[in-house]
Parts: sequence; C-alpha cells; structure tokens
Amino acid sequence: MPTYLLFDVGSTYTKGCIVDTDCEEILAIAQSKTTATTDISEGIESVKSKMRNVLATLKIHQTLVCSSAKGGLKMVAVGLVPDLTLKAATLACYSAGAKVVGSYSFKLNTSEIEAIDVSGCDILLLCGGTDGGNTEVVLHNAAKLTSLQKRFPILYAGNKSCRDEVMSILSNAGFDVMPCDNVMPSYGQLEVDSARQKIREQFLATITKAKGLTSLRSVLDDIVLPTPYSVMEALKLLSKGTVNEPGIGDLMAVDIGGATTDVYSINETFVLRDNVGYKGLREPLDKRSVEGDLGVRFNASSVLTLKEQVADENLKHYVEKISNDIHYPPNQMYDTVLASWCCGIATGRHVGRLESAYTPLGVSYYQTGKDLRDVSKLIGIGGPILHSDAPIEILSQALARSESPEILCPQQLDYYLDRNYVVSCLGLLVPKHPDAVLRILKKNVEKINDDQ
Amino acid sequence: MEKTTIVIGVIGADVHAVGNRIIDYALTQAGFHVVNLGVMVSQKEFIDAAIETNAKAIFVSSLYGHGELDCRGMGDQCKEAGLDNIFLYVGGNLVVGKTDFEAVEAKFKAMGFNRVYPPGSDIEQGIRDIKTDLGILD
Repeated sequence: MPTYLLFDVGSTYTKGCIVDTDCEEILAIAQSKTTATTDISEGIESVKSKMRNVLATLKIHQTLVCSSAKGGLKMVAVGLVPDLTLKAATLACYSAGAKVVGSYSFKLNTSEIEAIDVSGCDILLLCGGTDGGNTEVVLHNAAKLTSLQKRFPILYAGNKSCRDEVMSILSNAGFDVMPCDNVMPSYGQLEVDSARQKIREQFLATITKAKGLTSLRSVLDDIVLPTPYSVMEALKLLSKGTVNEPGIGDLMAVDIGGATTDVYSINETFVLRDNVGYKGLREPLDKRSVEGDLGVRFNASSVLTLKEQVADENLKHYVEKISNDIHYPPNQMYDTVLASWCCGIATGRHVGRLESAYTPLGVSYYQTGKDLRDVSKLIGIGGPILHSDAPIEILSQALARSESPEILCPQQLDYYLDRNYVVSCLGLLVPKHPDAVLRILKKNVEKINDDQ
Repeated sequence: MEKTTIVIGVIGADVHAVGNRIIDYALTQAGFHVVNLGVMVSQKEFIDAAIETNAKAIFVSSLYGHGELDCRGMGDQCKEAGLDNIFLYVGGNLVVGKTDFEAVEAKFKAMGFNRVYPPGSDIEQGIRDIKTDLGILD
C-alpha cells in the first residue's frame, strides 16, 4: 500500500507528515510558518524541505492538503425560523468545516444584503421551509440575493417545492447555484450530509483559486478539504471504527486556537434516559461547534470579558499585551488559564440542556441539544493545549459541574492528546485507507494520565 | 394534490400523550399532513413549526386545566409572526372545576382561537370543522 504526503495549512503554521499505509506508520513530521501574505505553497515547500531526507528515500503516491489558511472557509447561512432552518443551515456549515460569518433569518433586508457583500463570504447556504412547506420567504430571499454586488457560489438546501424557481432566479442573476437536499426536510429533522458534500465540492472547485492554493495544484493531486472537515472525518473514524477494526466509542474533542475554539462530539444516541423527551431540532450525532469569540491570542480579550470577575490584574495586563502585539512573549501559566476558560465555555455551549417542568403528575424532563454526560473520552487538539505543561487542567474544564446539572457535559473523562499534530492530516486519508488510518490514529492519539 | 398541513401538540407542562396520538392518527387518516410536536409544547414551538411547514391550522390540546394561562396571547403571537390566516383550534380540559363552557369558549375566542371544544369532544367534529373552514370538500 502506498505512501502519502499530507499537509495541514493553518493560519499560523503549516504541518506536514509522511504516512506509510503499509507499515501503518508516520515516517516524518515537520512544521513551518505559513506565509499568509504570499502563496501558501511556500509554507508547504518549507515543510517539505525539512522532511527532504526521508522524502529522498521514498516514492510518494499522492500529496493531499487540508487548509484553514486565510481564515478558512467562510460561509453565510440564510434560513427561515432561527431555531429551525437557520440553525440547521449553520450546523451544516460547521459540519463542513466552515466558519459562519453571517447568519440571517426570515426575509432578508437591504442592510443585511450589504453586510453579506462585505462579509468575505466564500459560499452562501440558502435554506428555509420544510419540503412542501413555506415557499414565500425563500423565494423572497432568492430575489433579494440578486441585488448583491459580489458573486459567489450559492447552495440551495431549502424547500424542494420551489427549488426550480429559486435556482432560476439566482442563475439568471449570474450566480453559480447548486441544489442540495433540504437541511430540514420535515419539522425538527436535520439532514446535513447532502449540504456538507456539496460544500466540500465547492471548496475544492472554487476556493483553491481564491485562497492562494492554485499553484498547489501542481504539487498536490487530489483532496483539498477545509481542515475542520478533515478533523471530523478522522474523529468519526476513530470513534466508530470500520467493519474490520473497532473504534474507541463515543468521544469529544476540543481544538483551541488563537482566535476560535472548535468542539467536536461524536456519539451514538440522542437521548440517554427513558423518562426524557426531546425538543426542537435534532442536533447531529457528529457535531462540530465553533466559538468565534474564544481564542488564546486574537480573542483573548473577549474571553477575559466573560471571566472578568475571576481574572487577576496580571492576567488582564497580559491579555492587553498579547491582543495588541502578536510577537509578545507567551506566558505558560496565563496561556493555560486562558485555554482552560476557552475549553470550559466552549464545551458548555456545545452540549445540550436538560430542562424540567412541574406537572400535576410530577416532574417532567425534556432535553434540547446533545446529552453528552456518558461520553468518557476527550481529545485535545491544537497548539495551545499541546504546548501547555498542564493539559489536563485545560481539558478537565469540559467536565460537568455539580452546580449546573442541567448542562449536559461529560461526568467522567479520560484525556487524550494529538501529540504529533496528525489528526487533521490523517483525516485526508480516511476515504482511501480507513483501516490503516484508524490504527495509525489509535497509535498517535495518546492517553494522558493524571500526573502528566 | 398536496396535503394540507396541520400542526398539533399538547401545550404547557402536560404529559398526557394518548389523546395526542389519537388526534395525530385521525387527522392523518383524514388526509392531512400532521406535524406532531408532542407534549409540553410552547407557543413559540407551535408557531415556529407552522411557519416552516406552511401549516393552515394549529390544533392545541390542553388536558390539565391551565389551558387559559398557557394559551394567553397565542392569537396575537400568530399575527406577529405573520400567520394572519391560520386557524387556531383548542380542546381538552381547558379549565378546572365546574365552569360554564360558554364562558370558557368566549375567553378562548377572545385570545384568538377560531374554535373551542369542550371536554369529551370527538376529534371527528374537529376534522369536519377544519374541512369546512378551509373549504375542503369531502
């Protein structure tokens, strides 16, 4: 089985590794700073040159890349009711590895159109109405979108009954518009796979040009994915396994970065307890949430605002410094505190809620979102966690708190680290060699003990 | 021909589910597309569902006597949400104790409900009524 050269082009660092799917080993790992201003292939070439001794001895079958460079894939989501199709649309965007730079409900107005024009949107996901349901709003929105100055691909994942009309309105106005299955075909039912697929295809087709990845086409062969999409693929495989190799079961992962914190959860059942009802949109069993206000560098100040009362003066001073100067020397202790806060807040937002209502027959419970109390594995991904000397201090913030039992966080956790920064790269290989990749992941996602 | 959508559910904190299933079944048999929100449904959920599914009617059930409290303002909420022409029906044990039904009916109609059904009503009457109101011929 062949050898692959894999890259994860991040906003700050480009990471690369060489994977031998035969011996199921990672033969080399290297990283280099990403050149954000010029072509991204320079960062890739730099990483390659660090691995040149190993590369010289091998025949590389394919080069594959995932990227979150230049802010990653930016999408705008348009839906109807905020808690229903708009939420479904944003969940579809997140599951595809995108950052949602604008989300709009009901009928779009002119100032919202103006905001979309300046949002830096790469792809727009237009949704609204169950199949056979509301057509009025989505038709209005399609017409309104024609007044945008910019042109970018639009994916239509709304009511299929007016799909032909919507597509005709948009394509006549010069948009590339692609149909997908409705993200909410019937009330409360979430179906993101079709939209996720189409987003991935569009990323490959259109974004590579815009994000400075064009010259890469000469050095890479096949898949280009948004990095979080690749991470999700790797985590899904690790959790669920294949027909030949078992997965490790339900898990969560936290990826803390300079500007955002991503949380992933992969589990088997929606509702764990018999006496609990479920309300609202069914969230995906494979879920990614993105907190755009939680990061340890660029967004450190917004994290601080959320934790104002417990922050000491020195920490506040540090945050002020790092927010204004990206070269300010990092402080391990404060970075760990910031990362801990990011982890705790982000996981608290990601998990579901259990609410109770008092009825003549006693207490009734209903759940919104995901019940992750029984998840027992948490994987830490990304620089801030991996560079910390106290990763468990950070990751343990994801645990349930006794004072808020209604927030359905895990009750007990074993902690793992993506020590070698390989999860995102390995996700690229999942469709081609799932069994081998699963075994490599198991070897590289390292369990850490309490004393570490 | 496309089916007409009706949103049904049991409002407020109420766990009685059997009647809800009976209504779901009867409406489905009568040819409607039923969006069943189950129990403990808030006004907002009824309205959100009606918007997305382009429902023509909302059938609210309430069985434990606090219906008046839970349904208060629902007619106005529908108007605010742009559901000007939606039919609102309500039925069940709408108030506790021995109260004159006509007074109950008047209260609910004042809240925006088109039809109000006393305890022990048969869903079939509701079906006949919605067909009349929507101009659906049998």
